Amino acid sequence: MAVDADKCTGCQACVVACQSENNIPINEPDHFLQRRAIQWIRIERYWEGEFPDVKARFVPMLCQHCENAPCESVCPVFATYHNNEGLNVQVYNRCIGTRFCANNDPWNVRFFNFWEPVWPEPLRNQLNTDVTVRSRGIMEKCPFCIQRIRRTTRDAGIEGREVEDGDVVPACVQSCPTNALVFGDLNDSSSQVAHLREDGRQYRILDHLGTEPSVHYLAKIDPYAASEGEHA
Amino acid sequence: MALTRRQLLKYSGLGLLGAVVFAGCRIPDREFIAESPVMIPEDLVYGDDHYFATLARPNTGVESVLVRVMQGRAKKIEGNPDYPMSRGKHSAQAEAVLQELYHPDRIATPLRRVGDRGAGEFESISWDEALDELAARLNDHLVNPDTIALITGPLRGTLGTVVSQFADNYQLRRYAFEAVDQTAVRTVFNRMYGQDRLPTFDVQNAHYVLSFGADFLSHWHAPLHYNWHYGEFRGETGGRGKLVQIEPRFSLTAANADRWVYANPGTEGVLAMAMAKVILDSREGNPDGMAALRETIEFNALPMETVEEITGVKAGVIETLAHDFAANQPGVAIGGGLAAAQTNGLFNMTAVYMLNALVGSVGKKGGVIFNPPAPIPNVVSSAATNPLMDFQRLADDFRGNRINAVLVRGVDPAYGTPGSMQFGRAMRENVPFIASFSNFMDETTLLADLVLPDMATLEAWGDDVPEPGPGYEAGALQQPVVMPFVEGRAFGDVLLALVDDLGGRTTIKLPWANIQEAVRAEAQELWIKNRGSVQQFSNFEEFWVAILQRGGWWDTNATAPAPQAPDLSADPGKALPAFSGGASTYPFHLLPFPSHSMGDGSDAHLPWLQATPDPITTAVWSTWVEVNPRDADALDIREGDVVTVESAQGAIEAQVYVNPATAPGTVSVPMGQGHSSFGRYAEGVGSNVMEVLDAVSDETTGAFAWGATRVRIEKTGRRERVRKFEGMVVAQTLPHRTVYEISTGNGGGAH
Repeated sequence: MAVDADKCTGCQACVVACQSENNIPINEPDHFLQRRAIQWIRIERYWEGEFPDVKARFVPMLCQHCENAPCESVCPVFATYHNNEGLNVQVYNRCIGTRFCANNDPWNVRFFNFWEPVWPEPLRNQLNTDVTVRSRGIMEKCPFCIQRIRRTTRDAGIEGREVEDGDVVPACVQSCPTNALVFGDLNDSSSQVAHLREDGRQYRILDHLGTEPSVHYLAKIDPYAASEGEHA
Repeated sequence: MALTRRQLLKYSGLGLLGAVVFAGCRIPDREFIAESPVMIPEDLVYGDDHYFATLARPNTGVESVLVRVMQGRAKKIEGNPDYPMSRGKHSAQAEAVLQELYHPDRIATPLRRVGDRGAGEFESISWDEALDELAARLNDHLVNPDTIALITGPLRGTLGTVVSQFADNYQLRRYAFEAVDQTAVRTVFNRMYGQDRLPTFDVQNAHYVLSFGADFLSHWHAPLHYNWHYGEFRGETGGRGKLVQIEPRFSLTAANADRWVYANPGTEGVLAMAMAKVILDSREGNPDGMAALRETIEFNALPMETVEEITGVKAGVIETLAHDFAANQPGVAIGGGLAAAQTNGLFNMTAVYMLNALVGSVGKKGGVIFNPPAPIPNVVSSAATNPLMDFQRLADDFRGNRINAVLVRGVDPAYGTPGSMQFGRAMRENVPFIASFSNFMDETTLLADLVLPDMATLEAWGDDVPEPGPGYEAGALQQPVVMPFVEGRAFGDVLLALVDDLGGRTTIKLPWANIQEAVRAEAQELWIKNRGSVQQFSNFEEFWVAILQRGGWWDTNATAPAPQAPDLSADPGKALPAFSGGASTYPFHLLPFPSHSMGDGSDAHLPWLQATPDPITTAVWSTWVEVNPRDADALDIREGDVVTVESAQGAIEAQVYVNPATAPGTVSVPMGQGHSSFGRYAEGVGSNVMEVLDAVSDETTGAFAWGATRVRIEKTGRRERVRKFEGMVVAQTLPHRTVYEISTGNGGGAH
């Protein structure tokens, strides 16, 4: 995935789209106070400076799907594993809730279900039948909407064609009004996401850890920061 | 000894293992993958899914969407990729419309009040009983129709037509209510260009956007559409545009702007006029524009030193912005939000929108694009609302016992009007009969004698003429995508059914049996036109299916005529703002703002939106007051302190959020919380900032000046942790880029 920070407005469309697609439990008020709210994708906001020379930066944060994922190697039951498409995915019915993966995840994008999820009736009708509802005591995380990848692959197979760039659209990417999020196959050199990876603004968050994240960020452009020296 | 096939299998134990042994040098890939032996859950899907195009109507405006329906249940809302205003995208607010459909507190049947008014005691009745009672009560009062008030939200499309005709037929008083109205902007375009409809600001093709208070990326006009525009504006094609946001509050648009310029509240018009003078004096404007506006600018522009003093913006900055705007065309100046919500809102908007005429960007790509009216006559294509002044007069009429019946549909004026107006109380104590068409027990519905549950958006027929539109004729269709989940009936259907019961008094009979029929009748007219995105069908039924599948109809060739020269003859009113509350007693400007997710509070009942962090503060499920760090030090308050925000009209409690971007001398409070009745997810959460606001309005238009109240902050001594996302995870350090600046100093990473 590529995330263009210059286009992200922080509108939160991706956040709610993800919660809807992936049956994420309702984040009730206390969950925030206990720092146990679940958002597979979230918008982080960073302050720079103070009034009047102040900027807010938005960084969408989700599982980075690292090539050398530190969360995978510590799972004692192989509930989290690297699939042959390069995704870092989670088998929920195998997880025993040691939380070792969360402990080893520098991006804080893995979440533990501290409670049995509750959707008061008839709110359960909205639940996506493609996605398991995770029970109390297990970990969950962004799988790049693997259910959509499977569906697209299956449909392409039925139609007798290869999956093309842009066919697979995770819920967050689909909603993003500014097209700040782009999803595709990094191994396909002609894909849009592979082109964006070569952009001069490209960087990866916590790149120095050597985990080889698959999410590439494009830095925010700030024409006034350099030219007028408004910032430190 | 020759090894037979049978012996080999015996020695190797298992056929499969034998195969592996003989494959020898290569182990199949799948052996490395730890896979569950059973099918993994995402493969275990039973049932078929279908996608239907329809409309979602969240607080941020109408969006054309596709709904994924599985086994009769709506599962997911996605943007309609065909429709020009959606382009496959949707907002967080539209997504949450699903929760309105399956909300646990949705009103399931018609209700009749049995206890005291406002006590919330109702009995469930049948629709026949409810309709009989409604017709009987209306018939009682129809001898004097001016005593019946019909209050709805802003309505466009067929429902707008039906409601208008219904009100006209019976000569009822008709009101359209919106807590944050757009009257000032509408008035300016009506006066200057004779436009009834809001124009579109062509941000995507602009090189320079100068926005005065219009928070178009969060909550102003059509945020989904403008977010899409913004993405293109930041794109590689045609270069990256520059966005300058001028307003006293650090809004989401200000956060995304290349430059945010603080101007004192209500002084945006003076600032815009000064910029116009700079452009005029340097002859950088469009010759026609300069000729048409010279007199007005010369008359209204103040000396630069005075402007500096009034606005708080340095002369050098004003001059730079003016030159930049004139030099980087096509560009567009946009005004609204807090700049319009002042007692001088009309002047501010007039001055801002004059800038476009001055540089010649009206009616041009990258500038202001006008929208033609709906292709079918009589279909309402403008969602104008009544200004606050009309509701003040209505409340006075309640108190004067001049209103016998109120019909209210889908709006909550008892919650959404300033507390000092006492609108709900006047209604409760003085109106003999109140009927509410609502899905939820909001504050206004709680006062009703008769509650008639409406249909949810995804259950009903309807249509919409987008406003602002794409710059050409367009209409979107709404169809039921699921069977009604409760015993609701569409508001329009109830009105049309009432026509028979009240028939004796009509002068023009509404010809349709229900809204579906009305929408089809209009589609028939489109079919006859045989142009646009869906055409060349010999049979209407085929055309009907085709436009339902695409979610609407549009014709890119049917644009608005070229704009006339701006007419500035009408008086724009006073240039300087007036504020409620003296500066010595009330030292802070209160800058309220519609909540990013819940708007004016009409979506506060949806848990996804309550739990969506405010983009700037990251706060959820609460009402907070944003205070500058130095002001916080002076008041000896810190984050989480519960304070009272007090004006001359009232006081609310809010938690302090120390915001480094809040200007000294101002405080900001989001709208939308503090519901006393609106379902389990809204009740008891936070405070309603409307209770503090004075009911002051723009003198000329009567529009609500919701940015014109001054307040003071008092400590209560209590302290509670702020419910927010910030601090939930460890902050990252963003890398410093040499070419593209992301500074990490000055508190960077203090996430």
